[in-house]
Amino acid sequence: MNSQAVDPRQAVRAAAQWLALLESGGANEQDRANLQRWRDAHSTHEHAWQKAQALRQRFADLPPALAMSSLDRPDPGRRVVLKRALGAVALVPAAWLISRQLPLDVWRADLHTATGERRKVQLADGSSLQLNTASAVDVDVQARRVKLIEGEMSLKAPGSVSMTIQTRFGNVIVSQGEVCVRQDVRGCRVSVFDGSVQLQPLQGPLLALRAGQQVSLQAAGAGAIAPFDALAPGWREGVLLANNQPLGDFLRELGLYRPGILRWDPELEKLRVTGSFLLDDTDRVLALLAASLPLEVHSRTRYWVTLLPRKNSV
Amino acid sequence: MSDVLQEQTLHDLYRDHRGWLESWLSRRLGNGCDAADLSQDTFLRVLASSQRIADLQEPRAYLLTVGKRLLSNFYQRRSLEQAYLAALASLPEECAPSPEQRWLLLETLQALDELLDGLPRAVRRAFLWSQLEGLSYQQIAERLQVSERTIKRYMAQAYEHCLLVDL
Repeated sequence: MNSQAVDPRQAVRAAAQWLALLESGGANEQDRANLQRWRDAHSTHEHAWQKAQALRQRFADLPPALAMSSLDRPDPGRRVVLKRALGAVALVPAAWLISRQLPLDVWRADLHTATGERRKVQLADGSSLQLNTASAVDVDVQARRVKLIEGEMSLKAPGSVSMTIQTRFGNVIVSQGEVCVRQDVRGCRVSVFDGSVQLQPLQGPLLALRAGQQVSLQAAGAGAIAPFDALAPGWREGVLLANNQPLGDFLRELGLYRPGILRWDPELEKLRVTGSFLLDDTDRVLALLAASLPLEVHSRTRYWVTLLPRKNSV
Repeated sequence: MSDVLQEQTLHDLYRDHRGWLESWLSRRLGNGCDAADLSQDTFLRVLASSQRIADLQEPRAYLLTVGKRLLSNFYQRRSLEQAYLAALASLPEECAPSPEQRWLLLETLQALDELLDGLPRAVRRAFLWSQLEGLSYQQIAERLQVSERTIKRYMAQAYEHCLLVDL
C-alpha cells in the first residue's frame, strides 16, 4: 500500500461512487477489478470502503416497515406550508386510523407503502383510498386524478364528481362505487366491488364494468370480462383467502407481503391450501401452513425463510 | 487557556444568560420543562466546543445560534418520535418489539435521521427505498419517474453525505 497522504473526503466520495455503480447493476468485470485495485491502493481507500459497508449494515439491521414509516415521514416543514395552502395533510397507517378516527384531508400527495404495509387515507372530497403492500400512488384531488405507479389500490368514491385512476395500461373512471386496481409489469387487473366504472384501455373501445365483474388490461387492450366474488374478504380487510389453491401460487402471493426472502422446495409447489389467513402476521401464516401441510419452516432470520418438505421421522 | 479558567468563564456565562436563554426557548416551545432541558444542552454544547468563552464578543448571539440549532433538532426528533409511535401502534401486538427494543430502535432511528438530515427529499427517499426495501435502481427510477442514471447519482450523493458526517 501507498503511504502517501490521501484526502479522506476524496476517498469517501470515490467509495460512494463505486458503491452506487455496483448497486446499479451496471458494473462489469473490469470495473470490479478497478475497484479492487482502488481499495488496495491506499489504506484510506479501504477504510472508506469499509465504512460504507458498515453504513449499509446499519440500515440492513432495521425492521424495514417501522424504519420506513419513521424515516420517510412527511416532512414537517413541507407539511406546514401545505397546511396553510390546502388544509391539513396527514398520512396515517390504516390500523392507527381505524383506532383513532383521525380526520384526514388529503388534496395532493405521493403515497406509498412498504412491503407488508397497508394504508388507508381519506381524501379531501370524501373518497377513501387504500393502498396494498409495496404500492405507490400520486394523488391530485383537484385534478380528479390518482396515478397508480405500482402495486395495488382501492378507491371508494361517494359519487359527486368522477375520479380517474391512471395506470400504465389505461384509465379507470369511477363516479360512484368501489374499485380495486392491481398493476404489475405485464398488466392491470380491475375489479369492481360496488357501483360501476368506465374503462379506457390503451387500445379498443370504452368499456363499462359493474359490481362483481373483473377484467385485465394489457398493452394490447382489455381481456374478457369475468365474474368474481365481490363479497369475499380480501387484502382491504387484511385477509388472504385460499380455496384449494396450489401452494406455489399461494406463497408467491404471500411473499408480496413479506420483506426479505421466502423460498420453497419445488416439490411443495403442487400441495393444496384452503383457508383464510391474516396478512398482519405472515410468520403466523407460515406456522399455520407447517401445522396443516407436510412441510417445515426454516428461518435463518426473519427475513430469510425457506420451506422444505417434512422429513419422515421414522 | 486552562480548563479551570474555561470552567470559570462558563460559570459566569451560565449565571448571566441562562435565565434569558430559557425564557427565549420557553416562548418558542410553549413549555418550560423542555426549555430548561434545551438551555442546559446549549451550555453543554458550548462547554464541549472549542470556542474560547472569554473571547465571545456577543455571548447572547452565540448562545442563540447554538440554541436555535438545538431547537430545530428537537423538533426533528419529536416528529420522528411521533411517526415512530404511530407506526408502532399500527403493528399487531405479536409483531411489536419489546419495550427495551423500542427505545433502542428509536435511538438508532434518531441517529440515522440526523445522518440523513440535509439531503433533498427525493434523494433521501431513493436511498431509503434502496436500503430498507431492497428496491433496485430501476424500480426506484420508476417510482420517482426519473432515469436510472439520476438514481445512481442520488445514491452516490446519499452515501457520500452520510459518510462525510463523522469524518
